[in-house]
Amino acid sequence: MSRNIQKVLIANRGVPAVRIMHTCRDRRIPTTAVYSTPDRLAHHVFMADEAVHIGEAPPIESYLNMDKMIDAALRSKSDAIHPGWGFLAENAGFAQKVIDAGLTWIGPSPKVINMLGDKIEAKALARKANVPTIPGIDAVTDIAQIKTWMKKDDVAYPIMIKASAGGGGKGMVKVENDDQLAQGLAQAKSEAKKSFGDDTILVEKYIERGRHIEVQIVADGHGNVVHLYERECTLQRRNQKIIEEAPSPTLDEGLRQEICFTATRLMREIGYTTAGTVEYIFDSATRKFYFLEVNTRLQVEHGISELITGLDIVSIMLDTAMGKKLPFSQSDIRPNRWALEVRLNAEDPRTFSPSFGTISRLQVPMGPGVRVSSGAYEGGDIPPYYDSLFMLLMTAGADREDAIRVMDRSISRNLRVEGVKTLSPLLLAIIRHPQFIAGEFSTRFIEEHMDELVSMFPEKNAEDEVLKIARYVAEISALGPQKWM
Amino acid sequence: MNDPVFVRPGMTARDIVKAVRSLKGVCLTSVGMRDAGQSDFKNRHRIHDLKTLAPHYNAMGLFSAETHGGARWHVGIMNRRESPFEEGAILRELMPNVLQQTLIRETNLFGYRPYPKNVIEYVVSRVDIDVWRCFSFLNDVRNMRAVAEVVMKRGRLFEPTISFTVADWTTNAYYLGVVKDIVSLCGGTDEIVLCVKDMAGVGDVTRIGNLIDAIKQAYPDLVINYHRHITDGLAIPAFLSAARGGANIFDVEEDSLVRFYGHSPILAVQAIFQESGIPVHLDRDQAEAAVQKVREWINHYDWAESPFKGLDHNVTLHKMPGGAFPSSFEQADKGEFLHLMPSILKVMSLYNRIVKYFDVTPGSQITWVTCSGIVNRYAKERGDAGVAHIIRLIEKFVIEKKQDMNAMDAAEQEELQQLFRTAPGDFKNLLLGNYGKLPVGWPADWVYQSTFGDEWQAKLRDRKETSPLESVASDDLGKIRSELDIAIGRVSTEEEFILYLMHPKDALEYIDFRGKYGEASIVLPTDVWRMGLRKPGDKVDFELWGKPYSIELVSVGAEHEGIIHVVMRMNNKTRVYEVLTPRAKKAEIRMAKGPSDIGAPINGNLWRIGNPARGPVKAGDIVHKGEEMANLEAMKMENAILAPFDGQITEVCVKLNETVQEGQLLFVLEKVKTQQNGVTPLELTHPT
Repeated sequence: MSRNIQKVLIANRGVPAVRIMHTCRDRRIPTTAVYSTPDRLAHHVFMADEAVHIGEAPPIESYLNMDKMIDAALRSKSDAIHPGWGFLAENAGFAQKVIDAGLTWIGPSPKVINMLGDKIEAKALARKANVPTIPGIDAVTDIAQIKTWMKKDDVAYPIMIKASAGGGGKGMVKVENDDQLAQGLAQAKSEAKKSFGDDTILVEKYIERGRHIEVQIVADGHGNVVHLYERECTLQRRNQKIIEEAPSPTLDEGLRQEICFTATRLMREIGYTTAGTVEYIFDSATRKFYFLEVNTRLQVEHGISELITGLDIVSIMLDTAMGKKLPFSQSDIRPNRWALEVRLNAEDPRTFSPSFGTISRLQVPMGPGVRVSSGAYEGGDIPPYYDSLFMLLMTAGADREDAIRVMDRSISRNLRVEGVKTLSPLLLAIIRHPQFIAGEFSTRFIEEHMDELVSMFPEKNAEDEVLKIARYVAEISALGPQKWM
Repeated sequence: MNDPVFVRPGMTARDIVKAVRSLKGVCLTSVGMRDAGQSDFKNRHRIHDLKTLAPHYNAMGLFSAETHGGARWHVGIMNRRESPFEEGAILRELMPNVLQQTLIRETNLFGYRPYPKNVIEYVVSRVDIDVWRCFSFLNDVRNMRAVAEVVMKRGRLFEPTISFTVADWTTNAYYLGVVKDIVSLCGGTDEIVLCVKDMAGVGDVTRIGNLIDAIKQAYPDLVINYHRHITDGLAIPAFLSAARGGANIFDVEEDSLVRFYGHSPILAVQAIFQESGIPVHLDRDQAEAAVQKVREWINHYDWAESPFKGLDHNVTLHKMPGGAFPSSFEQADKGEFLHLMPSILKVMSLYNRIVKYFDVTPGSQITWVTCSGIVNRYAKERGDAGVAHIIRLIEKFVIEKKQDMNAMDAAEQEELQQLFRTAPGDFKNLLLGNYGKLPVGWPADWVYQSTFGDEWQAKLRDRKETSPLESVASDDLGKIRSELDIAIGRVSTEEEFILYLMHPKDALEYIDFRGKYGEASIVLPTDVWRMGLRKPGDKVDFELWGKPYSIELVSVGAEHEGIIHVVMRMNNKTRVYEVLTPRAKKAEIRMAKGPSDIGAPINGNLWRIGNPARGPVKAGDIVHKGEEMANLEAMKMENAILAPFDGQITEVCVKLNETVQEGQLLFVLEKVKTQQNGVTPLELTHPT
């Protein structure tokens, strides 16, 4: 079954929307952007060939509104929808509606999304495919259930409460003791309801000092499943990744082959198509890996796999959606570089408190070995209603040391963001930390080293200092000599 | 002159003293960087300009350069937004050969109150200064002990100073007593320089020579520095007289800096000494170059000069010192009583015969505030006639009746009894001995009666005879430091802490200013510092940390609702600055402060007030510790606001779905009080 794609509506905003439009542009496929009221002048709107207003600021009225999305596609004569990541990306109901409207869905089938989107069912599938899974219980409704399970299976705190439909750290709460249990369950449920419209909950043992490793898969509708090797996404804050790299510094060649092969086997058995990711938690103490989940979508950190393989995953998604065969086989994939990505969130680097507002100045890193994926432009706004990610910074080098060196230069010498706070001081501190450089860290690295990392924040830089002087000159020029002088 | 530099930092005090003794003739201390600015320009000379003199000082062969101390420290943080520490470091780099000198007010250090011994030791041991000129406005040498000990232990040069004035009681015998105390405090004359501080410039020519000669006869090896303001117009002949008496070092400033209250012109002093056969150790070419340098920037400070211009021989009556003169006139101008100045000066000339001490900081401030207070009170209550009346009354009492209260009639006595009733707190402290003992005894009892009313006898009994060094209790430095850290929201530096110890309120403002405007006060030229860029196209070029920058004004917009937009080109890139005028409406956001204030932990949207279990909460409701009071959403993450203790909500300060800032006040919660029967109302509201 092959069909052509004439025009793609990107059901998203910010970084993912702009990223997808780049490839569409490369392939001369026109694009349609959608936007909520506060995003009227957003970057993705101008990247697109056409833009449709779909509602007010709250996501539920705009970027999560399926009917408006499909209506916008039809009105703009788009014949395909790419959901990006987040919002409706892993919503099987939406995928079905897209298909029912006669449009091409650029993603796995609704059936597959449904299966894998449910963490409980996904775990069962993994077990069936002989993939190791974390001990836990499914379909939790009250705390008594959790306590019974912990007693029966001899599980000690901490445990992880997860929204079955969840992803991206939302609806995920780590619980350390009995006292936190009720509040944790309530919070996970409420967030799950809000973010995914489904408050089914599962609970798992929390792997201490785990590392987060995932395998990028691409598959076509003809039974070809190829992995693009792994990424390591261990560095997280509040369960959200902020630094990723490929390959993983943790794995030796044997484990690498095993993890990648296991992922390919699972996806083949499922009958997966298009791009997807199999996520694992890796216990460095025992050197065992456990299945975590499958992300049935393009992932934020896909860019580093592109950098090490030279492929364009969005382009592959377009091709597989058109019914084309993968033009390569597993043996053609030979990564020959090391790539690093940091997520530039608009947040206070000390407290992670969101920092929305206008980006009054944006100087984007350039120079050898750098790739920038931006969702905002100088003068643009970061509205408070959506994700705080506004730019991805990727660097590549012949080896890890090289990639880190280029990242250091990019953050410390080239990058400049004014108007909103960003994570950049924290990101720089992390990549300069001896333990990061040695490749020795767990998902708790940031919380465990926060004070030390904050102490590594650069105290002053000349650019900031000179702007303070300029502000003084502006004020005195406008107001004249001051009383206090 | 081969190498004119004959003393330099790092030499021991003994070697410095030896070097001065072995000079043929005299040498000079330049006060161009400190006292000159204090006396005539309200301490506004910026390091940006002063540092241009440094290379010349470095090669001039000065004894020392007074760069530090006095009010320059305080005005620096308050008005110039410069720290004495960064000034010192800049000058060290530019004039490594020059002994940097400070002026310190014994127990008052660089501030205005007597500090405890532990603060004095802490500060003095951490300030990088070579020559410590230290004076007491009471000539109470006991007060110098703490400073002397630290300075001499550090191997720096201590320059004890006698405050000089002319009065019936300031005899040679009196001063020799003070010098004796000093020599005994400092263990002889080999490691000190003695300064005679004629701070108002009141010593007549023969008196000065005579006093110095008397000291030299008693202590032939003592190196003497004569410090003399020029207000009376007789400074240069007084210098000659002092040199002939045996003084070794003279305070001078650039000729182009000389106005009316400062010091003698360096080139003129060199010339007259030379002509009089007294060799002067000075590279005159360098001194001339410095004089020229001053002309490049001095016109930027016209605004800072005293409105009361010209020399004034009447200074010998009122004795207001050079440093206090312009600032007093400034205060009179601001307070709109400039026309009362002649009367105030007259009252001062009488006052200093009733209460006897030296009119130098903080004494000069006490005199000024007390006397201007008296005159202003009479002016307000009874107009010009009242002012004339009180002057006549005090004149009669002091001059005609020689301060014999019984010679005054009852009504006059009654009025004098009220003279000091509204005197400032520092005047009271002075009378109570909190600064030390007065040079020639305490004032008469009627002064105490007048000041303290019915309590006067009790106060008299409390009067201290000891030095404040013994009576002021130690400060808890750790506690003060953490106070500062909390106030600025980060760990303070050592230097910030010392600034805070001296002037807490102004130090906080300074730190805040520098946080906001960085090094503007250091790198900007003075016209731009004071006036900004005045018309489109005006440009300022400067360097910061070794790289060039340029700011060009494009336009200043019209004021609209308290906001002016300023467009500038910053290194060729256009930037728009929003400047709030004093008329700008301040958006009032209440922040959580006390323990009963519940603040927002992060920026976000308050999407729920209350919790699902009990529904919304409102003022008057009682919440339990740990109960969710509200929930804040930011970028799709939820954050529960939990009650920190059992309490009653007294106020809900935000509305549902309001976007709130980190730290913004959400609720005010009052602790539930336990009732007398031991049952809390909390339990009563939850019947089981």
